[in-house]
Amino acid sequence: MSTLLEKHIVELLQERDEKAISLLYDNYADTLYGVAYKVVKDEDLAQDVVQESFVKIWKKSDSYDESKAKLFTWLFRITRNTAIDKLRSVNTKSDKEIQIDVSDVYNLGVNTTRPEFMDVKEHLDKIELKYKVVLDALFFEGMTQQEASEELDIPLGTIKSRLKIGLRELRKIYGTSMVLIMIVSLIS
Amino acid sequence: MTEKIKIFLDTDLLEKYLLGATSTEESLQVERYIAMYPEVRETYNELQENLEAFAKLHALKVPVGLKDTILHKIRQQKRGTSKFLKYAIAASFAALIFAGSSYFFYNQNKNLQEENTLVTNKIKDLELDMQVQLEDIRNQYIVLNNPNTKKYSVRGNKKAEELKAVAYVNPVKKLSYINVSNLPQLPEDKCFQMWAEVNGEMVNLGIIKDIDDKDKLWAMPYADNAIGYITIEQQGGNATPTVQNIVANINY
Repeated sequence: MSTLLEKHIVELLQERDEKAISLLYDNYADTLYGVAYKVVKDEDLAQDVVQESFVKIWKKSDSYDESKAKLFTWLFRITRNTAIDKLRSVNTKSDKEIQIDVSDVYNLGVNTTRPEFMDVKEHLDKIELKYKVVLDALFFEGMTQQEASEELDIPLGTIKSRLKIGLRELRKIYGTSMVLIMIVSLIS
Repeated sequence: MTEKIKIFLDTDLLEKYLLGATSTEESLQVERYIAMYPEVRETYNELQENLEAFAKLHALKVPVGLKDTILHKIRQQKRGTSKFLKYAIAASFAALIFAGSSYFFYNQNKNLQEENTLVTNKIKDLELDMQVQLEDIRNQYIVLNNPNTKKYSVRGNKKAEELKAVAYVNPVKKLSYINVSNLPQLPEDKCFQMWAEVNGEMVNLGIIKDIDDKDKLWAMPYADNAIGYITIEQQGGNATPTVQNIVANINY
């Protein structure tokens, strides 16, 4: 499934060539920054997370197993876990100040005024909020469908169907033809 | 889709695995399912695709300069390891040299200590020897210089007519010496031995070796009315004198 670029990067990583990091950064930094931001909900912290994640990626480069995960999945795992660790250490340090400080409402206010967020929002707006919430819970917060159902106070059946639709919407944006078949197999 | 796979997919373990939130045992279980069941594998790949797509939706522009910071950090780390390696090699060499020189110095020290003991012992022996000799010389000087010293000329009897000796006896200082100046030739297997009879006991004074040193003074044990004898004995000397072989006697 991996593209030529991914293969090239993986090769460079295995040779411990510094160019790998440069290429990874050019192709994934924005996405990983977004992932980090989704978790820590603070720009400075998210940048720290990206920095630490890339150092970890470099250190662990020989532990990447192509047969077990796509390159992005591996990058995502490292970034997400680094972000969760960061959030924990910050929360214990400042007694959860960050969480209070950076509430969702506050973020929405800031983000909408900043041009670099507009592009993303445009895409995200194509997915209805109720689906996005479920996707978020699944992909970023690491909840199981059961946990999401309890946390969001939505019946499990609804979670499943919203996830199904959410993924379909997502696929529409990225439009690949075989999506539907796969989604059906995922949800059923 | 079999019941087993359905149950597995319902647990959401696969999703947790996708995010890297599973424990080691859970990961192994999931990896086993992925390897064994094509349906699970497909679902997993699907999830990976979705994850990437969904994550990309949330992409944010990274601030300028972050890349340089990261690359700088990575280079630093690389240099750090190579620096560490350099230090490690240097330290190893230093340790090796230290161990080698330690061994060398330890050995040298041991040898020197042994030599030192040897030399100290030698000096002690020499000192003792010197003391004895000095004492002897002092006594000789006293005997020879003292006006109370009596001088006895000793001549051999028929068996050794050429024997000539002089005894010096000082009753005040209770010292006596004898100087053997001439001895007759003896067969190879014979030798002259000197004795002194002190308070009825026969004391062995030793064999008179070649009389190369004609000025040598032999110390004799002093006693009132002691008698000195010279006998001819088997080569190597005897424990008791052979009375019939007495060649000279000195009364002093």
